[in-house]
Amino acid sequence: MNFKKEYLDIARFAVERAKKAGAGGAAVAAEAYVNDTESIQVTVNARAVEQMSAVKEAGIGVRVLRDGKMAFGSTNDLSKEAVGGMVDGLVKKVVYHTADEFNVIPGKEDGALASDAAGYEDLGSFDPRVAEVPVQEKVRTALRMEAAGLDYSPKIAGSMMAVYQDGTLYNYIANSNGIDGWFRQSGCGAGIEFTAAEGESRESGSFTKGVVKWADFDPEEIGRKGAENAVAMLGAKPIASAEMPMVVSPEIGTQLWAFVAAMLSAEEVQKGRSLFAEKVGAEVAAKNFTLIDDGRLKGGFSTAPVDGEGVATQTTPLIVDGVLMTYLYDCYCARKGKAKSTGNRSRGGYGSAGGVGTTNLYLKPGEVAPDAIFAGIDRGFYLTVVLGLFAAIDAASGDFSIPSAGFMIEKGQKTFPVRGVTVGGNLFELLKAVDKVGSDLTWFQSLGSPTFSVKSVKIGGAGK
Amino acid sequence: MSKKKSMSRRSFIGKGAAGLSSVAFSSALMEMLLSSTGCKSGPGGAAAGASDLILPEDVLAKAVSHLMGRGADFGDVYVERAAVDSVMSDDRKINTTTTIEKGVGLRAVKGGRTFYAYTDSFEPERVYETARYVADAAEDPASSTGPAVITLAPLTSGLSFPIKPLPSEIGVDQKIELFKALMDRAWSADARIVQAIQFMREIIRQVNIATSSGKIVRQTLGLTEIMAQTYIKGADGQLQAAWDQRGAYAGRDFFTGENAFEKVVDAAAAKAVKLLEAVDSPRGVFPVVFGPGMNGVLFHESCGHGMEADLVFKGSNYKDQLGKQTAAKGVTLIDDGTIESFPGSYAFDDEGTPSERTVLIEDGIQRNYLCDIIYGEKLKMKSTGNGRRQSFRHPPIPRMRNTFIDKGTTPAADIVAGTKRGIYVADVSGGGQVDVITGNFMMGVGEGYLIENGKITKPIKGATVSGMGIEAMKSIDMVGDDLKLFPSAGRCGKMQTAPVGFGMPTIRVRGILVGGKGEAWTDIEGGSK
Repeated sequence: MNFKKEYLDIARFAVERAKKAGAGGAAVAAEAYVNDTESIQVTVNARAVEQMSAVKEAGIGVRVLRDGKMAFGSTNDLSKEAVGGMVDGLVKKVVYHTADEFNVIPGKEDGALASDAAGYEDLGSFDPRVAEVPVQEKVRTALRMEAAGLDYSPKIAGSMMAVYQDGTLYNYIANSNGIDGWFRQSGCGAGIEFTAAEGESRESGSFTKGVVKWADFDPEEIGRKGAENAVAMLGAKPIASAEMPMVVSPEIGTQLWAFVAAMLSAEEVQKGRSLFAEKVGAEVAAKNFTLIDDGRLKGGFSTAPVDGEGVATQTTPLIVDGVLMTYLYDCYCARKGKAKSTGNRSRGGYGSAGGVGTTNLYLKPGEVAPDAIFAGIDRGFYLTVVLGLFAAIDAASGDFSIPSAGFMIEKGQKTFPVRGVTVGGNLFELLKAVDKVGSDLTWFQSLGSPTFSVKSVKIGGAGK
Repeated sequence: MSKKKSMSRRSFIGKGAAGLSSVAFSSALMEMLLSSTGCKSGPGGAAAGASDLILPEDVLAKAVSHLMGRGADFGDVYVERAAVDSVMSDDRKINTTTTIEKGVGLRAVKGGRTFYAYTDSFEPERVYETARYVADAAEDPASSTGPAVITLAPLTSGLSFPIKPLPSEIGVDQKIELFKALMDRAWSADARIVQAIQFMREIIRQVNIATSSGKIVRQTLGLTEIMAQTYIKGADGQLQAAWDQRGAYAGRDFFTGENAFEKVVDAAAAKAVKLLEAVDSPRGVFPVVFGPGMNGVLFHESCGHGMEADLVFKGSNYKDQLGKQTAAKGVTLIDDGTIESFPGSYAFDDEGTPSERTVLIEDGIQRNYLCDIIYGEKLKMKSTGNGRRQSFRHPPIPRMRNTFIDKGTTPAADIVAGTKRGIYVADVSGGGQVDVITGNFMMGVGEGYLIENGKITKPIKGATVSGMGIEAMKSIDMVGDDLKLFPSAGRCGKMQTAPVGFGMPTIRVRGILVGGKGEAWTDIEGGSK
């Protein structure tokens, strides 16, 4: 898969067409974003291929701005006829939309960057091998992944899901302020879920990991860890309701930070949907809590030279030593909040105009070895599995009650597996109650966290 | 969330706007699409058997021949055109979006293995090329002959859901006028409202399916989804949000009475207001009464997924349960793809099998699973018409349709009255998730109340319910006589999204784990009268 000049040309064509369609009336500004994707997905089950899909697709998303009014449309038909027709339609209907003085198609003054013919700066977010490796090798890799888990222990009864997926993505952007350029990204990853059985006990264990480079993809590690997680849960039992300290695994930590970051979006703050409003400069977390969004992290899973509207990405410390420093901004929110874009316009692909989102988000590791975090706890809960987190955390109030599984901690040691409990609390209170932060920063795709502990949570349980 | 390649487990819809992220297109394009599909003729009669094929019959036949040319056991071609128009009011600003998409998905199955690819082109040569690519991937070296000759015969169905009015019959300006009224209504519901979102999405999908068994199916579906979300801030600084939604394979005329847009907007505001007065949910194991309707999503999670043939085949907690007791006596679970205009209804599934009403659990006994062609065959069962796909980009997999618990015999009013201490869940709008290996499921509670001495009292917040599927189903001790079906805008997300509907009468579960940050209840005998 390669750079295709015709895709940059169709993006430019869409922008010119919008300007032309508006000729005679108020000036039209426009932006076009083209994605070209190639992807392979292989599902295996019981040491054989279950399903294999190959994907090649491109599409365009266009924003037009006229008289302070913005409209968005997209299509996967990249013929001039289809794109032109869509753009004409957008220019026609945008007049009915609500005017908003902060609507903007970014220019240089907003931080937008143009690239030279070779594309934007290479930040190590692309590996040509991902597309070049023959499909048969990917199939073998997926089979090796599942086998590593099936062979991990005689207690592994089978796999419920074993998926390998990769993707190569070329992004092209052009707008009417003279900004255009392109960049590319790649990724390969896998998700696996095993059943472990022993006596009456049946447990599940899963593991997911994604990396940018083919060489960094370790199928055996993923298979083994998924199986290890299932076997470790055998014999799990509930505990009784109680209040106790909690240690959180890096994987679950990353999922919590994603919620916190969503509330740190300037869009949420400005629309009155976040309790972080008016808290910049205030202490919102424990002293050892530093949360960073880094769009330029070398080799990061979501690293890109520019964001979804062509603005340069950056490293943004959000919370430093417990103090809230800034929100995440795109150009619209930056204008509205009299701030500068932090390069966080995020879009899910050509089909979405996008909004404010994170890039590579992580909790800065501390100096405590993970074992030492457990050592200080006489009786506590080690949280390693959550169910339905999106429905268990209230994104407005921050209240949560999370159906969970994990391990009991007794006298500084991980003892027996626990299932059938809920962890109750409030996200804002949890940030302030963070006790120890481990040194073991671990990445799960674009999210990173070390192990950390919280002084106290409310466990709800069926146990006696 | 910005997880590029999330490999999540089977999960249900997210909360609020995130769960209905806006896809979007212009009415001009919608117009184009509809006029080219034959939907424009007649009074909004888009239905199965609509006259035109997207690709000519000989092209479909040739594409299937190419798919089968290398010894595949089964093959199908799925041609789709879709147009999505959405309108959204957010932060008192109304905007629309537009999306138009087309493509051809090609599948070959050999020895139970599925090979799949798609192209965004309708050029016959590109379609054949993709078909050959798939055929090669599925190749059986022992039997590579030339393309087989496939003859196709069209299937028809009496099932059709009219789209009235067609989205294209209403101008952008009229849609925006409608939204202005909804927006004003939402913001004026309470002085403490700090934000309100109203969202509507109209999707027209035209589909042609041609299979190696000689079937050809034409189907046009028009899905309308609406959603409202309201944020409210109390004097004490607490922020609460609530939402409501509806969806149906129908035009806007469907949304009247309790499904009216106005009702959805009002409900979101009313729920948010109540949350300001709510107490933290108690935690522990005690009786939970679930109100009728939307709460049926509980059974979608707690047992429906475990009965999908692919997951049964791989060893879900429902494997080898046919003929055995998997729920309390008096509990009947149905998955029905024929309820008029409901979001999980269709004449044919996405591999051309006619839809049907499937009884999964009958009076507590497991009777059936949800099968597509491929996994049905692996289980030596017939397809129940549950092979669904999100779009031409995805191969079909077994999915639910409209899943509900059938009506019972207990007068609904007696259920709360017979519960001394517990909670009443009016709306599990928080969504949920299941782990089909252990059967462990969870649901967030959107609107709930304490039950004290047989009466519904204070509203609660921050509750989740969770449990083990079969164990929870056996713990149902009262099934009400007030069955209500709910046309939901919910999308089930099992690797791909699919519109699904729910329903249930009032039901009591004798003891189930409730999470919250309120007091710990240890009185598990609380359910007695």
